Amino acid sequence: MMLRGRTTVRWIVRTLSEICVTGGALIVLFVIYVLFWTGVRADSAMDGEIGKLQHQWSTGPLTAPDAKPAPGDGPTPSAPPRRYEPGASFAVMYIPRFGADWAKPVLEGTATDVLKRGLGHYDRTARLGDLGNFSVAGHRRTYGDPFKDFPQLRPGDAVVLTDGTTWFTYRIDNRPYTTLPGDIGVIDPVPRKSGFNGPGRYLTLTTCEPEWGHSHRLIAWAHLDSTQPVAQGRPSALTG
Amino acid sequence: MYGWIWRHLPGNTWVKALISLVLVLAVVFVLFQYVFPWAEPLLPFNDVTVDEGMAAVR
Repeated sequence: MMLRGRTTVRWIVRTLSEICVTGGALIVLFVIYVLFWTGVRADSAMDGEIGKLQHQWSTGPLTAPDAKPAPGDGPTPSAPPRRYEPGASFAVMYIPRFGADWAKPVLEGTATDVLKRGLGHYDRTARLGDLGNFSVAGHRRTYGDPFKDFPQLRPGDAVVLTDGTTWFTYRIDNRPYTTLPGDIGVIDPVPRKSGFNGPGRYLTLTTCEPEWGHSHRLIAWAHLDSTQPVAQGRPSALTG
Repeated sequence: MYGWIWRHLPGNTWVKALISLVLVLAVVFVLFQYVFPWAEPLLPFNDVTVDEGMAAVR
């Protein structure tokens, strides 16, 4: 009787300990997955996207499913908005403030699986270099931490993009602005509260705030400063 | 639980240890390949956009 009671207690204690150890191991593994493994996977996916783009740009003439408008004039009002292919990369972004070797692919769309492979272009917003607001979202933490240093952006910082034919140099106009998740006015063609007061060629970057949370969003706005054909080499913002 | 598994593995201690190792690796693989990718979007780090439309779709 006494012995049986002790055996039962021992069984309960052992099972409880095993459950605790298993749970602890699960949590440790999950942390490793989120902090380390998503980065490994995202880095290789992003390198793959950039490699694909560079291969595409280096071989043959640019496949131009949509002819570019002559530089300098806006899109004709009657023309339907041209779309990038959903989920595919179409540009590479460079932000010298984040490091000389910081280069990330920009993909069409902001769905979860798209943002695992690079930065996501809000598909309702303007095309790269066009009149309107070219808006891009990116992870601040996990999946390669592309926008980890977002709060360090300062007015005048360069955001350089290329689509294989043209270099676009945007200049940041504000210190990162904190807003609420539903504030879609920040990606309007003329973003609200940005200080821009007329139509122009703008760029908006969005990421999460705080770093590990989702209660707010961090926003940076920029305007198109200069463009140059790829044939003329890298723009001064990258070489200087 | 672990004791029960150990007792039911075939072979001597070395074979049991080897099978245990393979089992552990299999569990880790399933977790990293299927379980964690499913669980991770439930965490807040994915919400980087200002239009919640995409979040509602997924």
